[in-house]
Amino acid sequence: MLLVKDSMTREVATLTPEATAAEALAVCRERRVRHLPVLEGGEIVGIVSDRDLRSATPALGDPDRAAALERLRVVDYMSREVTTVEPEDPIEQAAKLMREERVGCLPVVEAGELAGILTSSDVMGALVGLVGAYEPGSRIEVALSEHPDALSEVVEVFRKEAVKVVSILAGPEHDGGRVAVFRAETINPLGLVERLEAAGYPVLWPPRPPGGGDRS
Amino acid sequence: MSGRSAMVHDRALESYGFGEGHPFNPLRIRLTLELCEDLGLFEGYSFTGAEPASEEDLLSVHSLSYVRCVQEAGRGVTAERSVELERHGIGTPDNPVVPGLHEAGAHIVGAVMEATRLVMSGEAEHALCLSGGLHHAMRSRASGFCFYNDAGAAIARLKKEQPGIRVAYLDTDAHHGDGVQWMFYDDPEVLTISMHESGRYLFPGTGGIEERGRGEGLGYSVNLPLEPFTGDESWISCFEELVPEVLRAFEPDLILSQNGCDGHALDPLTHLSATTRLYEHIPRRVHDLAHDLCGGRWVATGGGGYDFWRVVPRAWTALWAAVSHAKVPEKAPADWISRWGGMGPVDLPLLMQDLAADYLPPARHRQIADKNRRTTHELLEKVLPHLE
Repeated sequence: MLLVKDSMTREVATLTPEATAAEALAVCRERRVRHLPVLEGGEIVGIVSDRDLRSATPALGDPDRAAALERLRVVDYMSREVTTVEPEDPIEQAAKLMREERVGCLPVVEAGELAGILTSSDVMGALVGLVGAYEPGSRIEVALSEHPDALSEVVEVFRKEAVKVVSILAGPEHDGGRVAVFRAETINPLGLVERLEAAGYPVLWPPRPPGGGDRS
Repeated sequence: MSGRSAMVHDRALESYGFGEGHPFNPLRIRLTLELCEDLGLFEGYSFTGAEPASEEDLLSVHSLSYVRCVQEAGRGVTAERSVELERHGIGTPDNPVVPGLHEAGAHIVGAVMEATRLVMSGEAEHALCLSGGLHHAMRSRASGFCFYNDAGAAIARLKKEQPGIRVAYLDTDAHHGDGVQWMFYDDPEVLTISMHESGRYLFPGTGGIEERGRGEGLGYSVNLPLEPFTGDESWISCFEELVPEVLRAFEPDLILSQNGCDGHALDPLTHLSATTRLYEHIPRRVHDLAHDLCGGRWVATGGGGYDFWRVVPRAWTALWAAVSHAKVPEKAPADWISRWGGMGPVDLPLLMQDLAADYLPPARHRQIADKNRRTTHELLEKVLPHLE
């Protein structure tokens, strides 16, 4: 789970180095993609984006545009330094690479061959799935103590209350504290909130209900 | 005009509940009905009873395996079956197993279908079923206290009987009306509008403005997430900017409204800050819009509402008053207060309306109202082009 292969697109539109800008832009339009790996003899030799090609050609409406689109070759405008990942790489590794290399897309290579492509939108999709954003649930934010058992103690409270945890996000310490964000499959987190606070874990969300409610 | 409104209710509908200590308690229906009765709002009316929905009707919006699980659960659950049932959301703290679960749920569906039948046949101009509004029930899963989706099944039946009918479902419960939305997500003949506390802060977590429907139905799911602590003023102005315009563009044949009142400041499960003013405003406006747009055809249901002593009885009395063209008196009746006072953990309200002075606007109310206004404008820009 959460590997590049779980989120990548397997059918990749590619180009040859000799393709024209017109051909490349047509592929971008038809396949609704922005990045195209360039292959020569089955090997990746570069990657080109629709933006690279548009900035290289005269603007829309320019009488020279059509001729330029036919004349320009992909090989002259592609980036030759291609950052790639492997299908078994963890998705967070890919996300980190995208951020550090400032690219929106990574070709996925397995045994030297192109196996797929991973875009920043695929990474976002994995995140959305990871937090269970499509499953009904309540968001519960709990402040964890520094004690190493804190997270397991908090999870134990969920177990005792028989509330199913849809997802847990708990990062490293930040701003002097550690917070775990749960998505819990319940419309009624009141009992849970009460037990968590009683166990010494402040609940940052949801707030306690107004006093004098009719909890019987 | 009286006599043309119907209250669909019978005692058996009050058996849908999950026992002491569970927030969903049918006592709220009893408290509401007796409050209406003591105020004289039922004079000249008799309740219309209903039969449980048939299996065929349930299967129009639920899967066969799910309906079988609900039936089975109501007869008792063995340990080895509990895992399978839990996969369908059955037997959790939210949706506990109680005897007769299937029958009670099917009865509510039947009651809301009866309400729509009365209105479509012209036997009633408007109809109310307080037990309905179980909007979280999914095709194959119980969720948020809801097992069978009454509005979903009633709309499915209408579509079958009158092909081409256009139904507007308007949900002003504090929680997103997810179950009904997903059931008609790609259907351009069913408009679902839900105004609710933002899913970033409240169950079920969905209902962002980007959920707008799919395929042919793109634009026909309308979601307005409101900021936590939204009060009457901002709620009402968003409602007025959004609902009349969207409904007009859609041109419904019937309006089905879900009238959860859990956005009240006292509600323990949500974080909105409305008062009875909102719950008088909404049904009155829906009533007028039904007359403007679809010959008055309006079916109203209940929904969420978990402060069942102070909030639900008054909010839903205002709802019945709008349905039955009556005026709500100023004071809560002495009989009602003496009969129920002291039975719950809180004092019963003496007045039918909240006093504004008791509910001061939250500290950030201007920012909250600004954010809600921006969200409303963005939403209108995104959905109106599809509806027109």
